[in-house]
Formats: sequence, C-alpha cells, structure tokens
Amino acid sequence: MDVFNDLGQGILAILTVQNVLLLGAGVLMGMVVGVMPGLGPSAGLAILLPITFTLDPTGAVVMLAAVYYGAMYGGTITSVLINTPGESATVASTFDGYPMAKQGRAGPALVMAAVASFVAGTIGAILISVAAPLTASVAASFGPPELFLVVILGLLTLIVIVGKNRLLGALSALIGFALATVGIDIGGGEQRYTFGSTELINGIDFIPVAIGLFGVGEVLHTLWRGGHLEKIGYFSVSARKRGFWPTKADRRESRGPMLRGSFLGFFVGTAPGAGATVASLMSYNLEKSISRKPERFGKGAMAGLVGPEAANNAASAGAMVPLLTLGIPGSASTAVLIGGFLMWGLQPGPLLMEQNPEFAWGLIASMYLGNVMLLLVNIFCIPVFASVARVPFRVLAPIILLVCIVGTFTVNGSIIEVGIMLACGVLGFFMRRYGFSPAALVIALVLGPLGEETLRQTMLISGGEFGIFLERGTSVALLSIMLVLVLVPLLTPRLRRFTASRLDALSRRRQERRDEAEASSERDRTSV
Amino acid sequence: MRTKLITAAAAAALTVSLTACGAGSTGSEGSGGGDYPSEPLDWTIAFGPGGGNDIMARTMVDILQKEELYPENIEIQNREGGSGATGWGYLLGQSGSGYGVSTTSGSFITTPLQADTGWEPTDFTPVGLFATDDALLLVPGEGPIDTWEQWVEAAKAERLVVGGIGTVNVDFIVSAMLAEQAGYEVEYVPFNEEGQLQTALLSGAVDAMISNPGSILGQVEAGDMQPLISTAPERLDVLPDVPTAEELGFEGIPSMPRGLILPPDAPAEAQEWWIDTMKEVVETPEWQAYLDENYLSEDLRWGEDFTSYLTETQDRFEEILTEHGAL
Repeated sequence: MDVFNDLGQGILAILTVQNVLLLGAGVLMGMVVGVMPGLGPSAGLAILLPITFTLDPTGAVVMLAAVYYGAMYGGTITSVLINTPGESATVASTFDGYPMAKQGRAGPALVMAAVASFVAGTIGAILISVAAPLTASVAASFGPPELFLVVILGLLTLIVIVGKNRLLGALSALIGFALATVGIDIGGGEQRYTFGSTELINGIDFIPVAIGLFGVGEVLHTLWRGGHLEKIGYFSVSARKRGFWPTKADRRESRGPMLRGSFLGFFVGTAPGAGATVASLMSYNLEKSISRKPERFGKGAMAGLVGPEAANNAASAGAMVPLLTLGIPGSASTAVLIGGFLMWGLQPGPLLMEQNPEFAWGLIASMYLGNVMLLLVNIFCIPVFASVARVPFRVLAPIILLVCIVGTFTVNGSIIEVGIMLACGVLGFFMRRYGFSPAALVIALVLGPLGEETLRQTMLISGGEFGIFLERGTSVALLSIMLVLVLVPLLTPRLRRFTASRLDALSRRRQERRDEAEASSERDRTSV
Repeated sequence: MRTKLITAAAAAALTVSLTACGAGSTGSEGSGGGDYPSEPLDWTIAFGPGGGNDIMARTMVDILQKEELYPENIEIQNREGGSGATGWGYLLGQSGSGYGVSTTSGSFITTPLQADTGWEPTDFTPVGLFATDDALLLVPGEGPIDTWEQWVEAAKAERLVVGGIGTVNVDFIVSAMLAEQAGYEVEYVPFNEEGQLQTALLSGAVDAMISNPGSILGQVEAGDMQPLISTAPERLDVLPDVPTAEELGFEGIPSMPRGLILPPDAPAEAQEWWIDTMKEVVETPEWQAYLDENYLSEDLRWGEDFTSYLTETQDRFEEILTEHGAL
C-alpha cells in the first residue's frame, strides 16, 4: 500500500545516527521535564522549542516528538508514584495507578503504562497513515455545538468517578465549576471574581489546583493517618525480581482496554480542544462500565490504568490529523508545534502534506519512533523511578512538597499560583478526609470553561435555539453516542437480570413440565 | 550495589531538573552612564513560545546578534500570562532602566482597557512601530459568497455570524467597524483559540471569521477559505485580488501593532540608541524576509510618532468597545 510505503520511507529517512541520538536525548529530557509536577508535554515543547531552531526541520521535529512522548510519560510516572498528574490528560492515570503503587505494584503499573503508550502510538501511526483524509473531514465538522457535546461526554465520566457518593461528588464538581468561572468571561469581556488582580484575568489554571489537591493533599492525608510512622514493607523493585514485571494476568487484563483505548483515543483526539483529557476519561468510563469487576476500579485495577494511558497517547496521534491535513492546532502542544512550523519556514495548512511530504511523513514517523524509544529507555529507567516507592514516607513527604512548590512556580513564575496550590492542598486534605472527590473537582475545572465557552458560542450562533444540536450531522451522531453511553450501563444490569430471570423461569417451567410428565406417567402407571 | 547506583542516578536526575528549572531571571538595574549599551539586555516576550510576538522578538534578537549590533549578552525570557499583563508588568518594574526591552502586539492596547494592569501603553518609552499584522475577513471557500459586495448584501438580508478571537480584541473591533460603516448587522462570536475558530468556519457553524494572513494563508491557498477584505494599507502581495478596506471607502480600521518599547522613563540615550539601531535592523534582508514570510505590512513610526499612534488607536478602541457594551 502506498501510505505504508510513505510511512516506511519516513521512518528510514529519519533513522540517522544524529536523529537517533536526538530521539534518545529528547525522550530523556521530556521525562525529566514531565516528572516535575505541572510541567506537561505542552510546557516541555515550549521550553525546548527555542533550542530546536538551530536544528534542521526534520531533526527539530524528531526531537520535539521525543520530548512530547517523554513528557507525557513523565506525567504518568508522577501520577502513579506520588498521585500528582502533570497535566489534565494524566488525571485518569492516578485513579488506579496510585493505588497500584501503594500496593507495591509500581513496577507492573509503569511497565504496562509504557506498553500501553507504545501500542497506542503504533495504532495511532497506522491510523494516521490510513485514515487521515477521512478523519480530517470529521475533524473539520467540529464547530462549537459538537465541541460542547464532546465536553459533555467527558463530564459524563463524573458519574463513574463519583461512584456511590453522589451528593459529595456533585458538590466537588460544583466547586470545580465555580473555580472555573474566575477570569475574563469570554462572552462579554467582563472580569469575574478576579478582585482586580491581573494574575487572575486568565482564570485559575488547572495545574496548581491539581498539584495541590492530588500531590499536597495526599501528603497531608498520609501524615494525618500516621503514614510517616508506618514501617513500609520493603518490596522489591529490582528489574531482576519477579514482582517487577507484569504478571500473565496483568497482560491478559490489559489487552482489551489497550486496544479500545487506542481507537477511542485516536478519534476523540481529532476533536480540537480537550481531546486527550476527554479521551482518557472516556476510556476509564468505558472500561469500568464493561468490566466484570467494576468494584475493583479505583483500588488498583490494571484496566483502569492502561485504558486511559493508551487513550491519551492515541489522542496525541489523533491531534496530528487536523494539524497535518487542515493546518489546525487541535491541542496546546500542537499549537506550539505550529509556531515551530512557521519558524522553520513551513506554511501550516491543508497543503502541508502535499507540499512538504517528507516533512509531514517525517513527523508521523518520528512520533512512532518516539514511542519505540520511550519503551526502550523505560525498560532501563523504570526501576529507577519505581525505587521512589521504597523511600520511607517521612523522607519522601518533604521532597514531594518541595517538588510541588518548585514545579508550580516554574510554570508561570507566579507566586500567586503557588499560594493557590498550597490552599488547594489543604482543601484536598479535607476533601479526602470527608469523602469528597478531588478528581471530580479537577475534571469540572478543566472541562467547565470549555463547556461554558462552547455552549455560549453555540447559543450566539443559533440565536438561543437548542434545535441547532439536531440540525448538524456530527452533532446528531455525538448525541446518539451519548444516549448509548448513558443507556448501556443503566440497561445492562436490568437486561442481565431480565435474561437471567427468563432463563430461570424457562428452566423452572421445564422442570415443572418434567415433574408433571413424571407425575402423569406415574398416574398412568398406577391407573393401569 | 546496583540499587544504590540507581537511587543515586535518580537523585542526580532530580537535582539536575530542579536546578535547571530554578534558573530564574536576573534583573538589570541602573541606567547607562555615557556608554550605552554596556550591560546585558533583559528581553521580555509577554507571550508564550511559537506565537506571533515570540517569532518577531526572536527574529530581531537574531539580527541584532548576527550583525553584532548589541555588544553585550541578550537574555530572552517568555513571561506570559494575563494576556500580556505579566510580561509588560515586569517591564514596568524596570522603570528608569535602559536595559529592559519588549515587543508589542494588539493586547498591549486592549489588556489595559479591560483589566487594572497598573500601566497604560503610553507609560512606556517608545522605540518604534515597524509593521502591522493585518486582519482579513474570510468566508468558506465553497460558499455562495465570493466578494465583499455579496457579503454585505447577504448580511443585510439575513442574520449572519462572524467569529473572531476574544471580545476586547482587534478582531471584534474590525468586525464591528466594518459592519457599522457598511450598514449591516452581524452577530459576533468570540473564541479563545485559533484552531477552534477555524473549525467553526470549516464546519459551517459561523458564516465568516476574522484572522491574520499568517495563520490562514494555507487554507486560502487550498481553496478552503476565501478572504473578502483586508485591513492592510496596501493589497498584500500574496493576495493580490483581495481589496483593502481603504480602497472600499472604510476609514480607520485598525491592525495589530508590531513595535518595540523600553521601560517607562528609560534614559534618553538608550531610546536614541535603540531608534538608530532599529532603523538599521529594518533595512536588513533578514527583516524584510521575516515581513514577507509572516505577511506583515511595513509601517514605520519612530519614537513619539509611535506613542501618538498608540494613543489614537487606544482611544478608537475604547470608543467602539464602549459603544458595543464590551467595556
């Protein structure tokens, strides 16, 4: 096939010694950046972009792709080990990743997360090659009404994450929505709840809040329950020991979620806006609703980690589709890349792939090779990272606090954000203490502004008519998906109970008939 | 043994990342004596890497270094946040110094209008305006509308929707002024990101959008979008068929100012040095290539001319925004 030829040539073209070294360096640098709480892929790209201007475009792209995946994985590492997501797309990885690390299974968690990223990256690269033109037309059909529905799809996961504690969960989400209203109101240009501070006019960023709620909140909560006094069992993290590698059961459990997460992630990722975040949350939602043991989710279920991990990685491949085929940045990271394109003298747009095929395919190939390199580097690095789980908490806690503060400050150099982060740490402690859901708060904070913005845009466009959602093809398709997603978990137990009771009734009737038959034959016999 | 090594490596990696991130800014104090420039330059970019402002600043620094115009070190920092409030606020903090520099954009005028930034554009010491980033009004490529006249006709007949970036922003002002002077009414829908704005147009959610040639030319070349009018002083070389607003009889439609400023009350000799130097910079082939590649219109105004241009533009912005209830 032609496209595989292009992809193969792209891979061959970038496999020079210099590029492989750049790949390795990029992955390592990305991981170091990503391990800092607060610094995710887009920050990593932004920090390292100026360095790449001295390279040729291909070398630059190779390095940036590597940085991107390295930083993404770095975020996973902190999510799993210290419960602190580096960016919104790895929030879902904390749900089951951190419980696994607490159970001493940090090794398997990190290895399977890397494998999931690799599988998703592979599927993503293949899908870009095969389905780019098709998905491009879908991506181009995403206006404000469709984006609003995608946000709602993401918010639906709140139901799953909150679980049984509905009232407290809803309250947590409401706090998130409330925080999301701070800043300039995009609709009217008014300032809301900024109290005259210029630092707040762009709103409260997700990063300090997430670091505070998850990272600092967890430290405070562990201190409160006396975790610093506990003697932790010195579980082994050596790569030569058995417990470090995923078991057969882990691998079997991961297969389905990985594949589903990859496809889901790729297609959700093509939507501009909150692609990777929504994709990872949807994947978590999906895995929990179809799992035979949903009660294990949140307590260290492998499926709850690898699904979202695959989804957020495939989403970053999906985000390349609108970038390469339409010249539209689908995420914060691709927006940074577009800036890079201009610096390298490339005109982003629908003709980019036609006019600069080597560059476009080089980009896709380097994304793929970035994944390969990530897997290779990680086989050596995971034992290092996983050894964090061996450090006694009384030593680890101050380090986590310091890293959280420095990480928050580095993002924008804002001391106010450090204050927000620490305040959220205290909030996070009380939320945990009284059974609120920090995850619901963070998701509401990330998706709330996008939801508000797109709904208001939709209403401006339609003149206040909700009918607009039924007039556009893509939006109707999204509504149908939503309906299915809501109905399936509601109906499955009922359907199961119904079929079970029907089967029951059937077998009972059969039994009765048999009894009757026996009785009558006996009667016959006696009558004879 | 092995685990010890590994732990040491982990610690080392952490230390490296910490120190790398800790490298902050070093403020340059004091004004130049008789021999400006004699200190390292602290160059603030008030936006993130990859944006229009960032690209311009880095091009300038590149030229200054290649031509060896600035004898000392130039330290570039992206100080983003608050729509430029953070970066230019930092420059405000360098008042009296000749060793802080920053580049301007549309937010330099609009951000102080909507937030209490503590500074006005006119507070800073002007070096000059070099170019304007012009706006285009675009419609989908395969639609019934092909010309500005058809657009006006359609807009008078039915309710049309125009998308742009932000409310208190050049895009909104351009849309409002065009509508007012041509005598039609439109619904303006503000977006936060260029990507979402572009898909809104391609998906048919909005009927037209305001954008800059640099971000949209790819779509125009591919035939996906059709520009109807530009705010450039003259027709753009790459879009020779698109009429300018001035040709069509419009007055005072603003463009985004791309200029250079020093901190408030910078020493006169620093201002003179920068005006002289930048006059050289804008003559270089690299600078001309930058203008061509980013489709900017050259518009040179030095010193006080730049300040009066800023005052004029800001007054006009304020008037229009107040009229439309955005302020």
